[in-house]
Amino acid sequence: MVTRRDFVRAVSATSLALASSDLVADLVAQSPSGRVLESKFKGLSDIALLTAKRGGCSYADIRFTRNVSDSVAVRDRVVVNGFGFGGQGRSESAGFGVRVIHSGVWGFASSPLVTEDEVRRITLVAVDVARASAIAKRSDVKLVPVAPVTDYWAVPVEVNPDRVSLDDKIGFLMKVNEEALKVPDVFRVQSSMAFDFEWKYLATSEGSYIEQEIWRTAPGLQVTARKGRSVKTRTFSVPPKTGGYEVVQGSGLLENVVRIAGEAVEHCTAPPIGAGLKDVVMTPAHAMLTIHEIVAHATELDRVLGYEANYAGTSFVKLADVGKLKYGSKIFNVTADRTIPGGMCTVKYDDDGVRTTEFPIVRDGILVGLQTNRETAHFVGETASKGCTFATSWRNYPFLRMPNVHVDAGPAGSPSPEQMIADVKDGVLIDGRGSYSIDQQRYNGQFGGDAFWEIKNGKVTRMVTDVTYNAITTDFWANLDAVSGKEHWQMFGTTGDAKGQPVQINHPSHGSPYLLVRKIMVGAAYS
Amino acid sequence: MSYSREEVKAITDKILNMVSAEAAEVDFSGGERSATRFANSTITANLVEHDQQVAITVYYGKKSATVSTHQFDDASLKAAVAQAQELAKRRPENPEMMPLVRPPQDYVGVEAALPAAVSFGPAERAQMVKKSIEICEKKGVLGAGYIPKMHWTDATANSEGLFAYNRYAEASFILTCRTPDGGGSGWSGTTGMKDVSQIDAGMLTEVAADKALRSQKPRALEPGNYTVILEPRPAARFLSLMVGALNARAAEEGRSFMSGAERGTTKIGQKVFGDNVTIRSEIGNPILRQTPIGPDGLAARSIPWVEKGVVQNLFYDRFWASKQGKAPTATQPGQSLVMEGGTATVDEMIKGTRRGLLVTFFWYIRPVEQMTLLNTGMTRDGLFLIENGEIVGPVQNFRWNMSPAVGLNNISMLGKPVPMHTGEAYDNPGTALVPAMRIEDFRMTSISPAV
Repeated sequence: MVTRRDFVRAVSATSLALASSDLVADLVAQSPSGRVLESKFKGLSDIALLTAKRGGCSYADIRFTRNVSDSVAVRDRVVVNGFGFGGQGRSESAGFGVRVIHSGVWGFASSPLVTEDEVRRITLVAVDVARASAIAKRSDVKLVPVAPVTDYWAVPVEVNPDRVSLDDKIGFLMKVNEEALKVPDVFRVQSSMAFDFEWKYLATSEGSYIEQEIWRTAPGLQVTARKGRSVKTRTFSVPPKTGGYEVVQGSGLLENVVRIAGEAVEHCTAPPIGAGLKDVVMTPAHAMLTIHEIVAHATELDRVLGYEANYAGTSFVKLADVGKLKYGSKIFNVTADRTIPGGMCTVKYDDDGVRTTEFPIVRDGILVGLQTNRETAHFVGETASKGCTFATSWRNYPFLRMPNVHVDAGPAGSPSPEQMIADVKDGVLIDGRGSYSIDQQRYNGQFGGDAFWEIKNGKVTRMVTDVTYNAITTDFWANLDAVSGKEHWQMFGTTGDAKGQPVQINHPSHGSPYLLVRKIMVGAAYS
Repeated sequence: MSYSREEVKAITDKILNMVSAEAAEVDFSGGERSATRFANSTITANLVEHDQQVAITVYYGKKSATVSTHQFDDASLKAAVAQAQELAKRRPENPEMMPLVRPPQDYVGVEAALPAAVSFGPAERAQMVKKSIEICEKKGVLGAGYIPKMHWTDATANSEGLFAYNRYAEASFILTCRTPDGGGSGWSGTTGMKDVSQIDAGMLTEVAADKALRSQKPRALEPGNYTVILEPRPAARFLSLMVGALNARAAEEGRSFMSGAERGTTKIGQKVFGDNVTIRSEIGNPILRQTPIGPDGLAARSIPWVEKGVVQNLFYDRFWASKQGKAPTATQPGQSLVMEGGTATVDEMIKGTRRGLLVTFFWYIRPVEQMTLLNTGMTRDGLFLIENGEIVGPVQNFRWNMSPAVGLNNISMLGKPVPMHTGEAYDNPGTALVPAMRIEDFRMTSISPAV
């Protein structure tokens, strides 16, 4: 495991001075790792909390964050800007946001200037904003209680990405490029790796002081092929994870690039599947996005309450549905979990300072729980938050974001993917992410994938194309007929979950076994 | 935070003086982003974000690296410059590297930071919310809205002496009204307003509230091809689906709808859309007042993209232009975008429609097939059936699968262009002048009972 001291030492060894490259980094480096109350940020926090108290606030918190993002990408043997974290080059972003409740209303202000005077000024701005808002409130913000805590936590990292030289990173990606470009009809390839290191320090007026350090790593590979006028791109599904360079090492980019390139070529001449009702077998790499769109988003309590009505939307789920709604078949079980190792939004405390947890959303097909935070939990009669508050960075206000949300694996004796396929007469096997669109209440979805294979009489026959399927959420999950066991359960994730106004980005993971869903309308988009 | 030309020039000069590499570029951005959000007729978030950032790119021949930081003290800037220089030396050469843009660049003068927008603050936003929710309460609906404000500065400076600066202030008012039982929903809004006195929160609330009330108890219609009247918001979203295809490199590499029949050719000069489709970037447009700075600091120029349905230009970045022996395009396709309209009001379009659908909003549009621009999306927040020139009632929402390559050939009426954001969210500059459109044979493929 890499601690901050290790991080600073490792980074210094690269002679790039990454960890002490700005004022905030200096303050972090000067603070003793793990001794939260001796941190330089304790004093700065107390200035904000005292200023807010004097300003008449009933609650206040201050959250400092520092993100160092970087990516390396090689396209067609040329080193180019990557995408995702650090997509425009190495990026360092640090600052703080102050959140207060005054007159029963939230106020928030943020700044990149981490000085005592600026902390005071920004706190007063947040108070003024809340005061101004009070003329248009209809109810007071209520927070469920949380016990104060002082703690330090860091994502376990085996290989610090900054200890791996740029030459080695480029060399690896170049090799992946070379292998892809050897495959006839491949004319474009991009391999990449992106890293995000986040340090954050949260202090609340209720007595919590929490410091956390998180590494996120996202490898990627895309191959494009052309045969005649047909051009197809195949994306290798690599799960982004919290962790270090070991995520790249375990990604299988090099081991799979020739297969992926070959599938891109084969996809160019694959026949259209045609429209009709078919059985669908989904790999975990495909199922993750369907889970994200029509389970995870639909069970965010703020959406259910109408908070997102103007942008991301509401939900077909109603408050009264908890404990009653038949969300899917009896084998459908969904669990939320911000504690699972490697999960993209795994963290010990959320941005309300609430200890994260694992909790059920669907059991035996019935909706049993919703995602909550301190602001919303009381609407479902709960006295504790489930720890789902998150803000993208210091600049943004924290609000309810989905945790990692998984479909559970089946019990021992569940069918293997091969047994599922053998049980399908007329169907399609779908891998990876493709086009996806879903209504604002998460009820009518149309999803594509990245690669598709026809299943006939229990056998995978050939690649096919023009595959989308339509899902009415509860009907779709009601048709879930088989899930594989835990040996085939895999967790994938996204680095681009958008919600809120201004839009903020969340990074959830979604685990799934292989899924067999019967009688789904396939191919209608192209008919 | 407000950054004057002199302040920004001092920052970029300081950084350029710190650089020992052969060449350097500094991209500055900074200012204030504020917003008020409300839902269920009460303010749920009110915020003021300050930010400042420089992205420092240094060059050694064809090697380069970019490092960005938000800390502007000398030590932080020096560290960022040193880091960029160290990284650049380690990177391999980029054969696509282009030399820096040289001055003079003759930027069109645009006054984009009007005093009323600059000072538009949380108190004014809260007053707008108050006015809006009072109307909502009178009408018996719940308001959920967003009032974003940007007062922002972007600048580019380089070691060739280039300095480009643009400061703007704008605000939007976007509202969804819903009936308390969730059975009706209506949308209204205006975006990217440099003249904030033009935001009429009361009028917009009346429209959204009336739509919410009128959209209750929708009937389900069969999926199929419909005549649709797209109000400016769905029209702007639909238009945006072809703007992304205006890239010359993707076209000439055979990866795009704009690729020609032969490898390496494009559809420039071909009639791809209907006679009534004319789309251009209009730098200095007095309503949009968008940045006159083009890619890499080039002086942006007005340019026609599509003229009476014929593709006139595609975007050549500087590398691809030099490779293909063409002049680089100084204007991004989405920059200061204007689609020519007609004279019809939406009411006149309704009166002239025998059977069709009035569409208030498009949601969650995603590409299905890149070569044909086939996209899918949903209707939302107010879908109404028109029969014999009148709205006869609300309709359950549809999923559609449609390409702008088809839709923009089937426009039968156009309204007056109005400012409307083309993106899914409203946070970045993306407002264009877009008319309401009546489109024939729009393909609705399934129903959603979502409201």
